[in-house]
Amino acid sequence: MSIDVLAQGILNGFSAAGIYILVALGLTLVLSIMNIVQLAHGEIYMIGAYSVYYMFVSLGLNFFLALAISVLLVGGFGILLERLFFRPFRGQPDRALIISIGLILILQNVVLSIAGGVPRSYLSPFTGVLHILGLSISWERLIIVVIGLSLLVVLFLFIRTTKTGQAMLAIPQDRDGAALQGININQISAVAMFFGCALAAIAGALVAPLFSISPTMGSFALMKGIAVIILGGLGSLPGAIVGGLILGLIDGIVPVLTTLYIANLMGFATIIIILLFRPQGIWGHE
Amino acid sequence: MNKRILIWILSCGVLIVFMFFIPFLFRGPYVTHVLIFTLMNIVLASSLRLINLSGQLSLAHGGMMAIGAYTSTLLIMKLGLSSWMALLLGGFFAAVIACLVSFPFTRLRGMYFAIATLFLTAIVVLTAQQWRSLTGGPLGIYNIPRPDPVIIPGILNITFASRVDFYYLVLIIMLVSLTILYAIGRSRIGLVFRGIQQSDSLAESVGINTAGFKVLAFSIGCFFPGFMGGFYSQYMSTINPDVFGFLPTLYILIYMVVGGSEKFAGPIVGAFVLTILPEVMRPLKQFQPFFFAGVLMLVIFLMPEGIVGLPKRSKKVARMLFEKRTKHA
Repeated sequence: MSIDVLAQGILNGFSAAGIYILVALGLTLVLSIMNIVQLAHGEIYMIGAYSVYYMFVSLGLNFFLALAISVLLVGGFGILLERLFFRPFRGQPDRALIISIGLILILQNVVLSIAGGVPRSYLSPFTGVLHILGLSISWERLIIVVIGLSLLVVLFLFIRTTKTGQAMLAIPQDRDGAALQGININQISAVAMFFGCALAAIAGALVAPLFSISPTMGSFALMKGIAVIILGGLGSLPGAIVGGLILGLIDGIVPVLTTLYIANLMGFATIIIILLFRPQGIWGHE
Repeated sequence: MNKRILIWILSCGVLIVFMFFIPFLFRGPYVTHVLIFTLMNIVLASSLRLINLSGQLSLAHGGMMAIGAYTSTLLIMKLGLSSWMALLLGGFFAAVIACLVSFPFTRLRGMYFAIATLFLTAIVVLTAQQWRSLTGGPLGIYNIPRPDPVIIPGILNITFASRVDFYYLVLIIMLVSLTILYAIGRSRIGLVFRGIQQSDSLAESVGINTAGFKVLAFSIGCFFPGFMGGFYSQYMSTINPDVFGFLPTLYILIYMVVGGSEKFAGPIVGAFVLTILPEVMRPLKQFQPFFFAGVLMLVIFLMPEGIVGLPKRSKKVARMLFEKRTKHA
């Protein structure tokens, strides 16, 4: 086992972590503010990948322009979903869960009938390899880490410094108290849904060059996202980041050392063990 | 009141007798196949309701089905146990696993519990995929033997060669399971479950061991999917990890919620309607999922108490309309 391979594994781990964190942040935002496990989150991720695919490959737009447009589109779509499907069921998590399952069926089949079942892929606009300290790092993986990190910084600045962001922290702490302070829960829910969907769309678009995109790609992301937020603590933003890092590094490093199956099992086992000691996850609270 | 109960019992009796005659009315392997799955889903959804009764939303049913299916199959094929014994042991093994696992899980509440159990399903499916020497890996196990023949000399000779035999088997399983589930729901234990569902901390404060009862509800509720998993393997004669994944789990949840989880009849009606519906919609071909999802969402939007809540709700709506009209007049 050479250091080079291990370093490669670590880098892969960080790029996987970037994707997991982006997906998990959206899930956890929606969960903490709307109290809904949005199972169609993986489908949002898939739609993000497809919309960038169509704008970047079919329309030939600049990659960043395509990304920005699709983020706005998918975020707007998220607001629409919140208004139409999730707002009527706030406080009824089981019915909202069924609604999100219905959404999975509809969104998957809509995309299937538009794009077809053939997996697609596009070349990353960031090709080439970066040589540093004797390590070779592919740009497309590095760019995931860079974009993921910068989005995190932006999101945290937003939450720490703006009034809307503070409201997003207040609602999960005490819903009634927040409402009494004049926080408009409907509005904040829409904002949360916008951010959640936008982050998922970015994750989908970044992943597309690494893997192929298909109408069923969302279930993988959903599972990883759920694993991350369980690990980190449901509804906790720092928890999602820590959980994403742990799970991403496991998924990046362990397959290099052993097999993919062991890596998957390791991921689950880690979560179960952590849950045994901290049922509320690493960063969660009762 | 007494008359109503009598009518209920009578209509249930008629329905049960009718179900015994269905194979004579609707012949053909396809119809029988759909009916067998309908009855299976009824048991699964009803057992999920028992867990739900104690305020826990479980998403472990797919995993429990897998545990039951693999356990019973391996007991039959590797140890040569009788198929009936294996079915029961499959169910018990699922219940034991559920019991062990749910001790740490009782500390998780609401959605936390649901996601943790969904995870349990993931682990079971992954283990079944991984443990190639025992479970055959992703390809699964083939040529699972049929249930042992039931022979009473001169009277009965059931070999389970045709689907109709399986239909009667699952019908009897369903009737027994529903009786057990109904009895538990109506008993003191069921009352305690409801108490926990309504207020966890209040139940605790009057001296109820909420954790213990939660474990009990989860274990009993997981026995049935384990058992049905075993039945599934013997009926289909082949299993693989993919048939027990998230999709069946979610579908069972859908049956329960769409039917209405408050009433005992809810999961039964939900499983019946939603298993038959996709088959009826088969001519729609690729639009079938849209219609299925559409029906699902309509029920969720329009019927807060599920399909079985419909009569009550329509009465309410009718009264509202009627009162409005009298006011204007």
